[in-house]
Amino acid sequence: MFHWLEKNPFFFAVGVFVVIAYAGIVTVVPDFMESARPLKGVKPYTTLQLAGRQIYIENDCNACHSQLIRPFKSETDRYGKYSLSGEYAYDRPFLWGSRRIGPDLHRVGNYRTTDWNENHMLDPESVVPGSIMPKYGFMFDKSMDFDTAYAEAYTVKKVFNVPYDKPGMPKLGTYEEAKKAAIKEAGAIVADMKDQAVKDAYKKGDIKEIVAIIAYLNSLK
Amino acid sequence: MNWLNDNVNLLTLIGAAAIVILTVVIVGKYIKQMKTDKSTGELSGNKWDGIEEYKNPLPMGWSLAFIGVIVWGLWYWLAGYPLGTFSQLGQYNEEVSNYTKRFESKWANPDKDTLMGMGEGVFLVKCAPCHGITGDGMNGKARDLTTWGTEDHIVDVVLKGSSGQGYPLGQMPAGMLDKASATAVAAYIVQDLAKTGKSKHPELVEQGKALYATCGACHGNDGKGNGGSAPALADYGKAQFIVDVLNHGKKGSIGNMLKFNDGRLTDIQKTAVGTYVNSLNKE
Repeated sequence: MFHWLEKNPFFFAVGVFVVIAYAGIVTVVPDFMESARPLKGVKPYTTLQLAGRQIYIENDCNACHSQLIRPFKSETDRYGKYSLSGEYAYDRPFLWGSRRIGPDLHRVGNYRTTDWNENHMLDPESVVPGSIMPKYGFMFDKSMDFDTAYAEAYTVKKVFNVPYDKPGMPKLGTYEEAKKAAIKEAGAIVADMKDQAVKDAYKKGDIKEIVAIIAYLNSLK
Repeated sequence: MNWLNDNVNLLTLIGAAAIVILTVVIVGKYIKQMKTDKSTGELSGNKWDGIEEYKNPLPMGWSLAFIGVIVWGLWYWLAGYPLGTFSQLGQYNEEVSNYTKRFESKWANPDKDTLMGMGEGVFLVKCAPCHGITGDGMNGKARDLTTWGTEDHIVDVVLKGSSGQGYPLGQMPAGMLDKASATAVAAYIVQDLAKTGKSKHPELVEQGKALYATCGACHGNDGKGNGGSAPALADYGKAQFIVDVLNHGKKGSIGNMLKFNDGRLTDIQKTAVGTYVNSLNKE
């Protein structure tokens, strides 16, 4: 056997790999299969939240904000419960980030509200003295992109079998239904906001980016 | 030469000199050996393409170390750190429960100064993002806490209403009383019901007591909140009232205040925040 392996370097390499990787295979794979499943209660994003997530990615929020709370007391005191891998099951791609120039945002919806986010996005220093975060006032002018958000939701539903339209899960439905639902969801957020221009635009059926990003931030719990 | 007085410089130089001397001596020894030495010893008899091998018994120290490592490895796997028993979250839970135990025993009976210090610390981290570092609400972005606990604030609440705490009796509508009646009720609440101090309008206390019937329907005639059905006005102006707000959250005309009842703050910390917020009112 050993003589044969010596003459067949490919199978020798496979054998070496299996021997070396054995510990990893038996400990990592079963654990990974289990923890990568969606946790109970984790739901896919609604189209409005997805649009906000796309804005989050577009503006590279993840370059300065992480979305991963490690199990240390110092972190859980500040940011809330530690993160579990099953919570990211519907994040494509996940936005863990690798740097914390700003604070972690994985549970920001638990301790920040619509009106706080509105003040903060318009002028961070008005609520956090000395903040180095840039102003995102343009989000109050730019309209959100519903079509791309719907396309993303539809794609992950068809390709990755994300459980939209299942019992207890967010409804996606047809384009018109989804648009109606997004407008309704945006209405609740606009009602909590103070900016008159955003409210006026909403009445005309135009949802601004700020509404979508706040919907996304509020959904991070 | 001044820089030789520095110990680190001196040590570095001595070290460099030692390295040079050792290198020269050892390399010299091996070069000499390569020139003159002949191989000696008993051959094992194995031959690979003309290359032979001496019989070199394993040194005793190596054998003992090898056996020792095997024994240590068995102990490590089976007794020291048994396989599959480490849990990152378990370690976290242990850290937190140890901390909580220490925290609770250390601050079991906090005095006023301790509560103030702790309250200020928690306030700056958890409350200041919305209420501002000084608690002034940052130009109306949140409730101005420097007026909290005063009669004016009670009048303000009566006129504007209060909502979003999720008490069983629901929200309090705006304008239950007009301004003059509200001022009288406020005087009664501060001086007689909560007994937090002398009222600014002591002459209105009696009138306020009569008008309080409107409030008592929900808040209870004793101001205890009908067993948790509505906020306990007898606690108004005390730390306990703030603790209730922290536990219930609020959603009013200014904005939404979230609940802090998910274990983020311990009971001692909540009381501390209440004590600190109470001290912000300078009246």
